[in-house]
Amino acid sequence: MTPLLEIRNLSFAYEGSPALVFDHLNLAVQEGDFILVKGPSGSGKSTMLRLICRLSKPQGGSILFQGNDITSIAPAKLRSLVSYVAQIPQMIDATVAENLLLPFSFAINAAKPKPGDEELKEMLCRFYLTDITLRQSAMKLSIGQKQRLAIMRALLQEPLLLLLDEPTSALDPESASMVFSIMERLNTEDRKTLITVTHIDYKPETVSPLTYNLAHRSLHLAS
Amino acid sequence: MNQILTISTAQLLLALVFILIAQASSFIYHLGLNRDITIGTLRTFSQLFLMGYVLTYILKTTNPLLVLSVFMVMVVSAMFIIKGRVKEKQIPYVIPTFLTMLVSYMATAIFVSGLVVGITPWWEPRYFIPAGGMVIGNSMSALAISLERLFRDMRQQKELVEMKLSLGANYREASLDIFRNAVTAGMIPSINAMMGVGLVFIPGMMSGQILAGTDPLIAIRYQIVVMLMLVGSTAVSSVIVMLMVRRRCFGSGEEVLLSPR
Repeated sequence: MTPLLEIRNLSFAYEGSPALVFDHLNLAVQEGDFILVKGPSGSGKSTMLRLICRLSKPQGGSILFQGNDITSIAPAKLRSLVSYVAQIPQMIDATVAENLLLPFSFAINAAKPKPGDEELKEMLCRFYLTDITLRQSAMKLSIGQKQRLAIMRALLQEPLLLLLDEPTSALDPESASMVFSIMERLNTEDRKTLITVTHIDYKPETVSPLTYNLAHRSLHLAS
Repeated sequence: MNQILTISTAQLLLALVFILIAQASSFIYHLGLNRDITIGTLRTFSQLFLMGYVLTYILKTTNPLLVLSVFMVMVVSAMFIIKGRVKEKQIPYVIPTFLTMLVSYMATAIFVSGLVVGITPWWEPRYFIPAGGMVIGNSMSALAISLERLFRDMRQQKELVEMKLSLGANYREASLDIFRNAVTAGMIPSINAMMGVGLVFIPGMMSGQILAGTDPLIAIRYQIVVMLMLVGSTAVSSVIVMLMVRRRCFGSGEEVLLSPR
């Protein structure tokens, strides 16, 4: 069976630096997988996610999505299928609803059905965001609320693969636990395929992710 | 009445009193501008005297190639001035900017001298060179402002642009606000000039014509053409340059190439 995502012999070095961050890094992700990548800060976890959605460019190797080299897929198309949520959530200076519907303002998502207010409110509940309204400014939310909103927004374009970059690193323990719970439910209930990178010691309660350690410029299966 | 008064060398030097005032202000308040004021003054004298001698020769020429060569030198000089102001090392913006300037300014100058003023031949240096000079001078500042703004905002808002890219935006959609703000920033001075002209200030060209004895009612017609020409050429060159340079801020995978400073 063709993996949903396959990384083959990936190598990467930062511009102007001779030291390789990855050297012959390999990974195969099947549909429905929950991949957890652990590693210390600076080990290249975020870079790996950025390479998967072409926000950065590798020096060598290849990444295949549904069997196709990602360089052969139009960037906007790839990123509507493989959605990346950054470590620090970014919001446009607009309401919660306008932020959530942002993906639908882009040509690639224009034909997708736009969720109505009721649907968005239900989703806000699922994401433990019952204390906010659709019409309030997204800029005034706490970072924990923004993080959940960012994950929700990424999901609204219905990607096949969700990439979460240190989703809890800037959050207090309560918000972090909500985000972990959301991640696990997305995998168990919605059958979403996820790759999450984190440097903290996270032990999932309801799922058994495939856990990898990113060390010595490559991925090593830990479980 | 129509005879223009000449300014003697002594009178010209007397005008340096204004520079002394500027130098004193910089010295007293530690503005750090003394060197720039000195260099600027020397360049004003040397460049304008040189231009005066060149124009005396050029205005009599019947050789279009010579006129176009002068125009080319003016565009190249403007490009060097922009390059000096826009300190961008990562994105190669010089060639697209230069080519756009050359083509759009040439088209504007030809349009104004050949069609609006209706002079024959269209390259008649008495009209073509001043028209070209005004277009180049004005748009050069606009382009420098727009380019600086584009690169600054692309760097400052890199995370926001990447967020939009991650949600399926193409590079045009992800940087639309930055593009608009860059073009607007460059155009605002030209638009403001249209608002204030005749009320707040009398433009240089019109003043020159009036001093030279031209009927003010004729001078204003020239000035109106010039103001419209400046806004149009600034808009065209800014939009084209920003479109081309913005593309160069993204790689083949539409990833942001600018790294934070």
